[in-house]
Amino acid sequence: MRIGIPHFGNIYIPVKAVASRLHAVGDLVIPPSMTQRTLELGVKYSPTEACLPYKLTLGSLIETCELGADTLTQGRGTGICRLGYYARGQEQMLHDLGYDVSFVTVDISHNKIASFLTLIRDMTSGISWSEIIPAFIFGIGKLFTVDKVEKVVQKVRAVELEKGMADRIYREAVKAIDDATGYREVRGVSREYIDRLRGVPRNPDTIPLKVAVVGEIYVVIEPFANMDVEIELGKLGVEVERTITLSRWVKYSLFLNYLGVDEWKGVHKLAEPYLDHDVGGDGWESVGEKVLCARKGYDGMVHLAPFTCMPEIVAQNIMSSTKEDIPVLAVTCDEQMAKQGMLTRLEAFVDLLEFRRRRRDGRSVCYFG
Amino acid sequence: MIKVGIPRALLYYQYFPMWKTFFERLDAEVVVSPLTNKAILNSGVTRAVADTCLPVKIFFGHAVSLIDNCDCIFIPTVISLGRKAFNCSKIIGLPNMSRALIPECPVILAPEVNLEKWRYHLYRNIYELGRYFTSNPAKIRKAVKEAWESSLAYRSRMSDEGITCIEAIDGVCRVEQQSGFNSDSSPMLTIAVVGHPYVLYDDYLNHRLISRLQSMGVKVLVPEMVTERALDAAARRLVGTPHWSFEADIIGAGEYYLEVGVDGVINLSVFGCGPDSMMLNFVKHRAKELETPFLHLSLDEHATEGGLITRLEAFLDMITRRMKICV
Repeated sequence: MRIGIPHFGNIYIPVKAVASRLHAVGDLVIPPSMTQRTLELGVKYSPTEACLPYKLTLGSLIETCELGADTLTQGRGTGICRLGYYARGQEQMLHDLGYDVSFVTVDISHNKIASFLTLIRDMTSGISWSEIIPAFIFGIGKLFTVDKVEKVVQKVRAVELEKGMADRIYREAVKAIDDATGYREVRGVSREYIDRLRGVPRNPDTIPLKVAVVGEIYVVIEPFANMDVEIELGKLGVEVERTITLSRWVKYSLFLNYLGVDEWKGVHKLAEPYLDHDVGGDGWESVGEKVLCARKGYDGMVHLAPFTCMPEIVAQNIMSSTKEDIPVLAVTCDEQMAKQGMLTRLEAFVDLLEFRRRRRDGRSVCYFG
Repeated sequence: MIKVGIPRALLYYQYFPMWKTFFERLDAEVVVSPLTNKAILNSGVTRAVADTCLPVKIFFGHAVSLIDNCDCIFIPTVISLGRKAFNCSKIIGLPNMSRALIPECPVILAPEVNLEKWRYHLYRNIYELGRYFTSNPAKIRKAVKEAWESSLAYRSRMSDEGITCIEAIDGVCRVEQQSGFNSDSSPMLTIAVVGHPYVLYDDYLNHRLISRLQSMGVKVLVPEMVTERALDAAARRLVGTPHWSFEADIIGAGEYYLEVGVDGVINLSVFGCGPDSMMLNFVKHRAKELETPFLHLSLDEHATEGGLITRLEAFLDMITRRMKICV
């Protein structure tokens, strides 16, 4: 049995870590990072109007099949958005393509942790819980470490003197964390790289703008889906803040939610005057985040949504008329998106934010750069 | 007397008789927005975000057209009709979106219908809705009972008599489609049209597709002509447990009619419909297995009548030719 997972941000790191702890790396097929080919495969074999995450995960799964995977994992759940249908549609398509694969699904709306653990046990026959649980925790530890480093790089990018340096270090860090074999090593590596990132020479003249990136979880987390929006914003001197991360999802959905802690409670409360119940996906959170960003005094917000994403359309409709005064750049991600178009929009947006800041601070406004 | 406005869009087609009975028993006057027309479409399109699907844009247009004619607008929040299946996000978010996009709107009555929660929750919501009109609980109770009965009668009338929503709402008996003009030249075709009621029955949105097919000598079958139970069973057969509340309309009806054996299946959907984009594939796949001709028509605000007619004619010609070859 060879297990394939779809590409999704840094999710391959914890998965690999769990597999290596259980001595099952050979049974795991990690998809290559996403390329234009992944997208094209996904688009070719998906319904035309399916959303981008569906197409990308399908493309990614096809690539794992090509590498020999025969058991594929995908999320499932009861809920409002299309996610619950992913596995059904993709399984049918892969069978039509002639891959003899079986799908195992992880329930990501109820019994999440039990679902994950049983999945691992089913995959690794004959291994006891006493080995699975520490391996699972080790994987989660790695995920948290990667996200910790990412939080730092999001800030450093905006002020670095030599553009691209922080990202280089970040990529090395991800690789090093991925290769680390024990807790001590992971901790050491993360400390080392965070120090290196903090030590990156900074441009003393830059006062970074603060922008939050919110929206649908897949396109927010997967850099290929959003055309590296965070890196591009960083190049324009913008500090990016992103609340949606995989580690946050794991922390709350797998653990703290069971103790009655709801990570979105405050955000939902803020959204209440405009939207008072869940509309599936991350729609409710997006509306609340807008209010929150305005309260926290952010300069702007980038709202990412896949094309035809139902919850985010509801959010966009409502966000356009909330009374909070904060500029929102709504970016719809799909296979037609081109990098240049995206860059132009980001530049215009950052110019607008800069303009607003100058006006607010009572500084002179220069219209010609 | 309080005037309650009901937009003639989305859930109207499934639940109007129920709502009408309920409000009338509470001595309210029911005002329905006019049939969809260009002005309604335009006012909806200008208000909503571009990515929103057409029926929802039309819904906003209907809500806008009601502003001056009523004291309150009824837009229920139908989250789930049970069995762990939910409605589309846009339908769930309707009252909130309407409030945001139509600030000049009168009071919006938005009772939450969520059968995933306790039954008591639903009863309380309906009671609260009734309290807007009367303070007499017995009267509300009676109105609910009669509304429910009229809804059941409406649904069974459609499946028993084989009529469409519009015919049942208007109380018009179906004019038997005795195709006088081409009965000798070609055999009468039976074609199932599957899709959401708000797409199938909005004549402005779908360019009078159903009556157009009927005038072409086609016997049109719609999902409502089958009992709900049969539709559910068919949907279960094809994809297992339903994920969306209206899955029976698309997958159930598609699978049911494919199994029964019709000459062709037309799926009518709107561009950008999330659930349809997923569900359709299963029906399409099944049609391929059974070698039944399948036509997918995707509508949006730019769809033109001419293009639609051409595609319909080509589809019908193809079916007729196939039948001749087979015979």
